[in-house]
Amino acid sequence: MKEKILIRIKNLERHYKSGEGIVRALDNVSFEIKKGEFVAVMGASGSGKTTMLRILGLMDFPTKGEYSVQGLNVEELPEEERTYYRLTQLGYVFQDYALMNEMSALENVYVLSLMEGKSKKEAIATAKEALNKVGLGDKGNRIPDELSGGEKQRVAVARAIAKKPMILFADEPCANLDTHTSEQVLEVFKILNEKFGQTIVMVTHEPWHTKYVSRIINLKDGKIVSDKRRRNGFN
Amino acid sequence: MLNDIKVGLLGAKSSIKRGNKKTLTFIVFVLALIFINLVFLPSMIGGFSVMFTGFMQYPYGDIVIEPSMDNSYINNADNVLQKVRAVPGVTFVTKRLDAGASIQYKQKVVGSSIIGMLPSEEYGTSNYPYIISDGEFLGDLSRDEIIIGAMLVEGYFGSEIYDNLGAVRVGSFVNVTYSNGVTRIYKVKGIMEGTFELVDLNALMHYKEIEDVFDIGGSKATSVIVRVKNTDDAVKIKEKIISAGVKEQVFTRDEKSDAILRQAMQSIDMINVVSKFVSLIVGAALILIIIYINVLNRKKEIGILKAVGISPRSIVFSYAFISMFYVSMGIMAGLILYFFVMFYFTVNPVTFYETMTIIPEIQAGLIIQSIFTMLIMSVIAGILPAWRVSKESILKAIWGR
Ligand SMILES: Nc1ncnc2c1ncn2[C@@H]1O[C@H](COP(=O)(O)OP(=O)(O)OP(=O)(O)O)[C@@H](O)[C@H]1O
Ligand SMILES: [Mg+2]
Repeated sequence: MKEKILIRIKNLERHYKSGEGIVRALDNVSFEIKKGEFVAVMGASGSGKTTMLRILGLMDFPTKGEYSVQGLNVEELPEEERTYYRLTQLGYVFQDYALMNEMSALENVYVLSLMEGKSKKEAIATAKEALNKVGLGDKGNRIPDELSGGEKQRVAVARAIAKKPMILFADEPCANLDTHTSEQVLEVFKILNEKFGQTIVMVTHEPWHTKYVSRIINLKDGKIVSDKRRRNGFN
Repeated sequence: MLNDIKVGLLGAKSSIKRGNKKTLTFIVFVLALIFINLVFLPSMIGGFSVMFTGFMQYPYGDIVIEPSMDNSYINNADNVLQKVRAVPGVTFVTKRLDAGASIQYKQKVVGSSIIGMLPSEEYGTSNYPYIISDGEFLGDLSRDEIIIGAMLVEGYFGSEIYDNLGAVRVGSFVNVTYSNGVTRIYKVKGIMEGTFELVDLNALMHYKEIEDVFDIGGSKATSVIVRVKNTDDAVKIKEKIISAGVKEQVFTRDEKSDAILRQAMQSIDMINVVSKFVSLIVGAALILIIIYINVLNRKKEIGILKAVGISPRSIVFSYAFISMFYVSMGIMAGLILYFFVMFYFTVNPVTFYETMTIIPEIQAGLIIQSIFTMLIMSVIAGILPAWRVSKESILKAIWGR
């Protein structure tokens, strides 16, 4: 079976202007991500992981290079379509949950389906399904303040996956969580990946997280220094 | 667009439901005061106009007919009366003949207008017969009698402000010298007290007497006073009177009092407009600041909403709904407060000189106008900050750079 390529980036660069001059946060990065992969993007602090994920998540623009999703050159979409693309095709999990504090877990999730144009009933059904997937089916009415860190992050995951996105991005989703709750979140990712074939790109710097993933891309100073797929373990 | 509205509503709903209730109460309270400020003063001014216009009934009835431009009299007033009586909606009509004169009692002399009238006709036409505080109103045979306004009589309300005739009383005799030099003696039959200069500085006499003094016949008049069944129809009836062939000048009482009131009202209106303007600005600033602080506090949330695909438009909608909610609550609280205040002032009217009372007038049009002004103001004040922040780049909103 020929594996389908979802993401293709080629010679991607992202430069920041800073006091000392230009920082090449991404320096000539190229790779492809296939459907169903669970990719960990690793590297030291400042190596460009977040920079890359923001570009992949259509929140930022590369300085140079190409980025296409399923052959569509998403860089060229006008802003409104980029927003719509994020809404319908991409899921994004932030390091610090990034939930709306005044919305219940359920509202946090279903607001996106409403935005997509679903009826309230449909939207709520979709949101409930997503909350069930992350094991929070019974906590939909709580607001973020009434949830633990791990639960909050799972709500954030539910929000990202309710639309059944083509790709799920997560930037250090476990950075604020202890080992146990990190495992809960990573388990959810694993199930999504293995059971539902969800493509996931996750930034992490915890080596033990790699046991959940199928591919590891290592960055250093904005360059890819290694890119390994799991056969029977990475080596 | 519909999706934007739905999402905006959800955002507004959750933010109001779970937002700080104390802040909400405070905002609503201040907005209620602003609303009151928009409607209260005009209601009092309205009440003042109503009172003032009421006084104008003495000289002008509901409609007044005056000599045409280059005549000092209405010639053949009876003919006019006849025409006017035939107009539907007219209840009473009478003619009057005014004259300038000086009145003398003992050493004291004052200038005054003397209104010549047909006493029995005045009962239906004016309030004069009902404001006699001492003595009696004129009768049809009162040819040598006079009614004197209270402000001309020492000891009566207002007399201390004006030259008066001293201790003239019912039964006293006064000398009246008319503008043509004729002097006659009259017995004071009554003293009238309308607590208003336009009434209380004058004197009343029989129509025939003035006719006689000035030696004019042919039923001349200086004015014809018309009362109508329903004062709301005054303008229409005025038109009908004109089309009935009355060639003289016809005015409604409102037109007459407008002319007099206009100047006073202009300055009051200025104050009113300025105070309205200031309170609207204060209200707009309040909402603007509240929403702006709110929006700044949520810059990151807004960035995230955009990052996950929520349209900037629905974020703007959400804040528009929030400020509309604040203002609607403020208006409702304001209306309740307003009706309480109105009720209070209706039961306990503002009183001047013990007798002049202003009962505030509730003006539906003004209230509706104020509600709309405040709603529009709130939407603009709510949208501006939200719109600005929603336009910011996602990176800047979430990560600050
Ligand atoms: N807005 C910016 N302006 C200037 N320089 C930036 C900006 N954002 C990131 N950088 C720089 O770009 C480089 C890559 O940053 P990035 O945030 O992608 O690293 P990271 O791999 O995510 O690090 P961490 O593990 O600490 O999150 C760093 O040197 C950083 O200082
Ligand atoms: Mg990072």
